[in-house]
Order: sequence, then C-alpha cells, then structure tokens
Amino acid sequence: MALGIGLKSAAITAVLVFGATASLAAGLSAADAIKARHDHFKEMGGAAKMLGDQFKSGAPDAAIIKAQSAKLAQTAATLPTWFPAGTGPESGVKTRALPLIWTDKAGFSAAAKTLAAETAKLNTLAASGDMAGAGAQMQAVGAACGGCHKKYRAPES
Amino acid sequence: MADRPSHLRVWDIPTRGAHWAIAVLFAFSWWSAKTNHLPWHRISGDLILGLLIFRLAWGMCGSQTARFSSFVKGPAAVLAYIRGDWTKGPGHNPLGGISVVALLAALTTQVVLGLFSVDEDGLEPGPLSRFVDFDVGRSLAKIHHLMFNVLLALVAIHLFAITIYELRGKRLVRPMLTGETRSEAGLQPPRFAPAWTGWATFAIAASAAWLLAHGLRLWGPV
Repeated sequence: MALGIGLKSAAITAVLVFGATASLAAGLSAADAIKARHDHFKEMGGAAKMLGDQFKSGAPDAAIIKAQSAKLAQTAATLPTWFPAGTGPESGVKTRALPLIWTDKAGFSAAAKTLAAETAKLNTLAASGDMAGAGAQMQAVGAACGGCHKKYRAPES
Repeated sequence: MADRPSHLRVWDIPTRGAHWAIAVLFAFSWWSAKTNHLPWHRISGDLILGLLIFRLAWGMCGSQTARFSSFVKGPAAVLAYIRGDWTKGPGHNPLGGISVVALLAALTTQVVLGLFSVDEDGLEPGPLSRFVDFDVGRSLAKIHHLMFNVLLALVAIHLFAITIYELRGKRLVRPMLTGETRSEAGLQPPRFAPAWTGWATFAIAASAAWLLAHGLRLWGPV
C-alpha cells in the first residue's frame, strides 16, 4: 500500500515537474502558475480541515482520514514545482509568496522537504490504520505548514 | 453606596462587567487577528460569545436598566427624545438604545460568523466549522473580516456620542464604571435583579458558550 502510493506520488511528481518545465517553455503565464499554486494550497487547506474535523470527533472516520492523508502527502510531494522563477511578487500578479523563496532556495527546499516527510509519515500511519498515531502526527504536519508560512508567506493584509 | 442622597445607582455589576469585559476582549480580538495569533483569537471569541449570551439574557431577565424593554423604543420615542420632550428615566435614552441594539446585533453576527469560519490553512478552524466545508468556511471568514469594519464604525459612533455627551456635561463613562449617576429631580431609582438571578443567568450563559466553543460536543478535544 505504502509502496503503491510512493510510486504513485513519484509518478505524479515526475509528470508535474515535466509539466511545469514544459508549460513554462510553452509560455504558461505567471498568472496561470500562481493560480494553479493557489488552487493546490486550497486543496491542502481543505484536506487539513477534513482531517482536523475527523481527529476532533469522538469517532474518526478511517476512510476519510486515509483518503485525505494520501491527498495531503501526494500534493505536498509536488510543492517544489509550484514556484517556477518569475512567479513571485515581481510578476505583478497578486501573490503573498515572498521573494525569499527564490533568494533562499536551500531554506525553502528544506522546508518543503520537511512538509513532504511529515505528510508521508501521516499517510503511512493512516494507511496502516493507526488513527491515534495519525492524529498525533497531524500536529507535526501543522507545524511544517506553519513554519514555512511564517517565513515565506506575507501576512494577509 | 446608593444611599448618598446626590447619587443614584443605575447600572448593576453584571451589566458593567459584561460591558467592560467585551470592550477589552474586542480590542484583544482585533490585535490577535492582526498578528495572526489564531488560538488566542479563538479563546477571545469564545469568551465574547459567553458574555454576549449573558448580556442578551440579562436584557430579558436582568435589572431594569439592562432590559431591552426599558430602552428599545419605537421611532416616535426616538424623535421625541431628539426634539427634547422625553420623560427622563434612568438608563439608556431611546436614541442610545438604538446604539446598544446595533452594537449587540453586530457583535452577535460577528461571533456567529467566527464560529463557522475556517482559516486559510484549515488548521485553526472555528468550533462549529465542521458543519460547513472548506470553501463555505473560507467565505464566512472573509465576511467575518469585512464585518469587523461595520463593528469598528459602530464603536466609533458609540465613542463619538459619549464624547459629545461628556462635553455637554452629561457624564456617561463614570456611571458605567461606578454604577452611580448624579441624582436628578424626578429620576426614579430603577429596580435591580437579585444576585441569584445573576448567578443563574451566568451559569446558563457559560454552559451554552462552553458547549458551542466545543463544537457542540460534550467530550473530546477542542
């Protein structure tokens, strides 16, 4: 199961990396890239909320937790491809992505790796049916989200 | 205290306490939202929720000057007050009553919106947000954000009106702190609710707020 999802997310990553490169070469506008990025983050927010709702309920629904954990892990794995050069505030498109993402590439890449690792761990726990473990792991996932947002995302104005 | 001949007790402790606690928490909610301290913002909102439930209930079963029936009047009474021919009573005048109702209604709307709001990361959602999906919760959060401007405008009007009255010699801030106003001829002392009514209302309001803040669940994490 874990291997299956690993392969699947690797495949998705490959497709997305290829897609991002190809589409930028084909002249995908910064606005399109930023819009796609926002949609990805909204998807992750939605998955985080659904997971939180389940973990807080007295009787978590394992099916929802498995599905949303897998979604979170798969989406998080592709995050490094959402920030092609030229999609920061300098593009003129409304974005709260800070220029630091492109000037501190090592730091940003490490933060993205942390998220990928924490969500993968969540997915493994959920897939194994360890709901209590997954619930505890959700704290680490939240910390990975928040840690990166604090540093690389401008506050809501 | 109320026995001093020149002073008349108008506001009871529950009314004053609820007023000042809401004022302080309103400022704190503003700060905690601005600085993105969502867990603090949520606790502040939960406390305001309890105080609002208390104040709304106190408006029905509390002391005379706290009751809606004593200050919610029709347009005729408001016009009469503005023209200057209004039989003076202790507590809010008919025009001030409109301000009280507007503030309480706007605050209630704001707190209810907050209960269902979802933050953009989906990590610190409001206690009742499990009844709505992410997109609806986000829309409600945006309305919650806009609604704050309405509240700020109402608070500004409230403070402006108080300043005008104070400048014209009508003291309003002091009575809301001490509970007493200068006695004037013909001003009847209001009726006050007994302490046990206050405690009972407080217990009911606190329980209701606790239940709502826990997402209408009796057990489990918040």
